[in-house]
Amino acid sequence: MNGFNLMDYAPILVMFIVAFGFAASQVVVTQLIGPKKKTATKLMPYECGKDPVGSARDRFSIKFYNVAVVFLLFDIEVLFMVPFAVAFKALFKENVTYGTIAFVEIIVFIATLVIGLIYAWKKGTFDWNVQARAEAKAEAKALKEKKLQRVEELKRGEIKIAA
Amino acid sequence: MNTILLQVVNPNVNVTSILPEVIVAVAGTLVMIYDCFAPKQKIVTGAISLVGLILATIALFALWSGSYDFANAWNGMVAFDNLRVSFTLVMLFVSAMTILISTVWTEREDVPIGEYHSLLLFATVGMMFMASGNDMVILFLGLETLSLSTYVMAGLRKSDLKSNESALKYFILGSFASAFLLYGMALIYGATASTNITEIAAKIGTANFPALLLAGGAMLLIGFGFKIATVPFHVWTPDVYEGAPTPVTAFMAAGPKAAGFASFLRVFVLGFPVVAGATATNYLHGSWVSALALMAMLTMIVGNVAAILQNNVKRMLAYSSIAHAGYALVGFVGAGVAKTSEARDGAINAVAFYLLTYAVTNLGAFAVVTLLGEKNDRRTEFEDYNGIGFKAPVLSFTLSLFMLSFLGLPLTAGFIGKILVFGPAIQSGEPLLTVMVVVAVICTAISAYYYLRLIVVMFFKERLTEWTEPKIPITLATVLIITVIGVFGLGLFSDRVLSIFKTSPTATKAQLK
Repeated sequence: MNGFNLMDYAPILVMFIVAFGFAASQVVVTQLIGPKKKTATKLMPYECGKDPVGSARDRFSIKFYNVAVVFLLFDIEVLFMVPFAVAFKALFKENVTYGTIAFVEIIVFIATLVIGLIYAWKKGTFDWNVQARAEAKAEAKALKEKKLQRVEELKRGEIKIAA
Repeated sequence: MNTILLQVVNPNVNVTSILPEVIVAVAGTLVMIYDCFAPKQKIVTGAISLVGLILATIALFALWSGSYDFANAWNGMVAFDNLRVSFTLVMLFVSAMTILISTVWTEREDVPIGEYHSLLLFATVGMMFMASGNDMVILFLGLETLSLSTYVMAGLRKSDLKSNESALKYFILGSFASAFLLYGMALIYGATASTNITEIAAKIGTANFPALLLAGGAMLLIGFGFKIATVPFHVWTPDVYEGAPTPVTAFMAAGPKAAGFASFLRVFVLGFPVVAGATATNYLHGSWVSALALMAMLTMIVGNVAAILQNNVKRMLAYSSIAHAGYALVGFVGAGVAKTSEARDGAINAVAFYLLTYAVTNLGAFAVVTLLGEKNDRRTEFEDYNGIGFKAPVLSFTLSLFMLSFLGLPLTAGFIGKILVFGPAIQSGEPLLTVMVVVAVICTAISAYYYLRLIVVMFFKERLTEWTEPKIPITLATVLIITVIGVFGLGLFSDRVLSIFKTSPTATKAQLK
């Protein structure tokens, strides 16, 4: 193919070499000139200055995964919208038809994502206390029934008194 | 700066050209929305899905018979040719039948039905783009849409260990194969500076680094070979097919396989042709043809011999699906060596027709297996079929018919399908291809053992335990009627279907050149 020159990509190679060299040099230099005093505190696993408690492999709620996935989706949405926003003005100025097409397409894209948001919402991804709420509801229901019962008892009592 | 921008962005937005895909995607979204607002419904999402699939079929036919000029639609990213239309028909049929088959299962197993239907529709969209994409990027996007949906579908029976195992294996191995595919595409792009298959075919004679072409071709061969389950990339198939819910297995054996063949054919037959005078390219062409011929032979031999050893009907059908991929590959190789473009299109149509016959037979067989499977697919061993022949005559006679069609008995669909795919390979007269067809015929004879074994088990074995015939629900009865008619119809009136496949849409010729 015409115009292809491997040397055009040399800067990328240089960047890789610099990046790798920097990382490697840091490790090597600290190994060579850093003081090595091993104390009990230093040998402990580092946990933000606190004493480490328990295993790092704890189980945690599946809800975090759901939120992470939704976050990822909307993160990517912004990622797609940035180039659109950058190109849109020039595109619209150059040719109104192309601009309109691009606008409609991004609207369709956002609408699709909104549908996804509605779906996640209805499926309870953001509802972190479904169980607690269900318990509260049951309790409220029980209380209400109790109250009704008492009212009825009172009524019956009144009837008794009247009789 | 603006002129540069316009050179890059020159949109040829032509929604009409992808109308069938759009319809199915919208139907999938509707199903999703409906499901989250009415989670307790049983039939509405299925009905929406079926209507969507039927509308997509109508749209496909309308596009096909009308005179449209789609040669530059989406800047050449979407194809409009026989390959797309014939394969898309197969996929729409498979999805519609799968929805009907799965009604029994969704009631029995209490699966999230709306999720299942929307996943199925999204998988269908992915498959349709695998057939219609004329650009490596579109093919890959279609493949990933399909794969992600099927990974989840394989694991839909959440509490079942086998289903989980199936989903996990499928996911890990499938992603691994996708990586191969993507790397192959990148290498091909490196050699030809294009991802568009028409352009690749045009530029391949003057490729940049011929060695990249070979490496890229090999990577693509591995990736696609995995997706259509050819030996030696087939090891995932039996476990995944056995563990996945039976209707999903029916879908996976028929739909994604057809989609894989569609992309595979497009990239290799249309993208890597013989170019007069270009040594490297012809070396590539020669090597992929012989590699595929060897893979086809291995696939047929391993698939058929391993199927003999199985004691589980689902596993047997899984190996049988591997074997059938081998038969379809025979037609594929025939398309690869075709001298004229008519012969090539004929061979491609033959592969599509073969996959249609396989889909019809396969869906029918799996419908019966689903019904007999009972909860958690417990009854899928050969022993469970002992002596049910005269106790459930409708089910066992139809299942026998499907077995005979798998085997390729005359009058059934399988026979015509086999004749059509073996034809182009034997006409080419090359020794390797002749050997391949001989192997195919011998393997067909071997396959008689395990297909007939099921019939023998059903009719001539004593049943020791109590067994009552399950009631055939109306949806399953519909599937059985359609597939039985299909088996005979395709067997007797294959010309009509083929003539539908052959009439090329108006813009085809312009685009293929």
